[in-house]
Amino acid sequence: MPDELVWASFNKGNEATFNFLYKSFAASLFAFGYQFCGDAHLVEDCIQNLFIYIRKRRGHLGEVHSIKSYLFKSLRCEITKRLKERGLLVDADQMQYAEAFSIALSPETILIESESRERTQEKVNQALSQLTVRQRQALQLLYEEEMSYSQISEVMGFTEVKSARKLVYRALSSLKEIFLKK
Amino acid sequence: MDKEFNILKYSDYDLDDFLADEFFISWAKNPDGKEGHFWGKWIAENPDHRETVMVAASIIRSLGLEKRPTLSDKAYLEIFENVLRYESFSEPTHPLTKEKNAWLKWFKFHKVAATLLFAFCAWAVIQVYINDSPEELPAPPVQWNVRENSAGFRSSLKLNDGSIITLNSNSKLTFPEQFSDTLRLVKLEGEAFFDIKENGSPFIVELGGTNVEVLGTTFNVRYPMNGELSVALVSGKVKVKDESGNQVILKPSEMLKIHQNGELSLTSFDPMEVVGWKDKLLVFRKSGKQEIIQKISSWYGVTVTCECQKQESWAYTGEYQDESLPNVLEGIKRALDIDYEISGKQVTLSTRKR
Repeated sequence: MPDELVWASFNKGNEATFNFLYKSFAASLFAFGYQFCGDAHLVEDCIQNLFIYIRKRRGHLGEVHSIKSYLFKSLRCEITKRLKERGLLVDADQMQYAEAFSIALSPETILIESESRERTQEKVNQALSQLTVRQRQALQLLYEEEMSYSQISEVMGFTEVKSARKLVYRALSSLKEIFLKK
Repeated sequence: MDKEFNILKYSDYDLDDFLADEFFISWAKNPDGKEGHFWGKWIAENPDHRETVMVAASIIRSLGLEKRPTLSDKAYLEIFENVLRYESFSEPTHPLTKEKNAWLKWFKFHKVAATLLFAFCAWAVIQVYINDSPEELPAPPVQWNVRENSAGFRSSLKLNDGSIITLNSNSKLTFPEQFSDTLRLVKLEGEAFFDIKENGSPFIVELGGTNVEVLGTTFNVRYPMNGELSVALVSGKVKVKDESGNQVILKPSEMLKIHQNGELSLTSFDPMEVVGWKDKLLVFRKSGKQEIIQKISSWYGVTVTCECQKQESWAYTGEYQDESLPNVLEGIKRALDIDYEISGKQVTLSTRKR
């Protein structure tokens, strides 16, 4: 079912739809939110506030084209607001949490026909760790969360989809160099 | 999205171009999806790109958070319950909400609450909690007990405050091991009769998004799956608050129905029909086919099927005090001129053959 319809049904007060939304997104929201602070309690609290907020506002909520990116964006705003209140965050690129958006290729990856599979994988992971937090975030949303560029733009607060594309291209061009070097 | 159809374009693609291409990513993540056909064909026609494509696809599939944190089952349920409970008269004994920030937030939300009474309740809750100072006295986690009756079973239980609850078949009651001093909260799915002992703290029955609040009273609540919710008051006073914040105060012998479209209706009720079940009284009042089937199957825990003409409309009235299944069916048979057959847990009703 298209997101617009699911959202409209939720907005009308359908409880089953609310349950569906919670069930569908709670886990991935948690994994996402955790990246900003590494504080499970804070993330849980923010997820709770987010769902309380949208549930309270049923009937008055505006149109939403992608529920997932709307929820991710809202959670990001809530967490950064809380971190700022505590003086733990000055700027989104300067996250205190050292492991924010640490991404890697999972060990069971099979990169076919590469002469030394493990070394290649190590090199990719090395390169991934050198990307900026925002580049890693964009890649994680693009691949693991299967978001489109326009969803990524919404989550990360870009006004233009172009910015999300640029961010990804820049990250990928440094990955590509590793492959050419081999 | 013209690129989706531009096959030529992909032959100039390098690894990073594939890695950035939404159409390609979508295939890499779901090879069996609608793009499967296109890419299968494309790779067959462009064998020199095969390795690049495979490497790109494998990166896309395997890139992810190094350590993906998981929301514990406990937190998952707690958050969900807190969210549902939030709109109600809320019971803030939750470990997750122990942070001070959360309380301030509460206060903010409640300032805009629609009714004075709601605001008063919030104020009272906050007062209690500020006085209780959650940091000094962390609320112990609430232990929940569950009593569930399947079809054919009814049971009574006495809670530790002296209240007696009769639970109908196909119903489930969740109640705390020990009530707190300030609030008595239970959750109901199905039907139950409440005889609540007054002790100064409100008693709240939670039914999905609707709440029934009482002080000391006797009343019946029916909240079947996929059905309309009804609250019938025998004595005392209850307040019903629905999901949208509507609030109705019932007087004795009034029944409130909340229809599935959200509409409310207030009527009087026949006590025997509505609360007779708790005294083992099975009551039919101009009952149609569906109602008869539903009542018999849940009362006796049997499966009822009907092999009768569709156009037949039944209106059966009768009462049975603690009667056996064959006796009830015998009564219905005579009144409606039908046949029945019992085989184990299976009852078949049929039009009488002439």
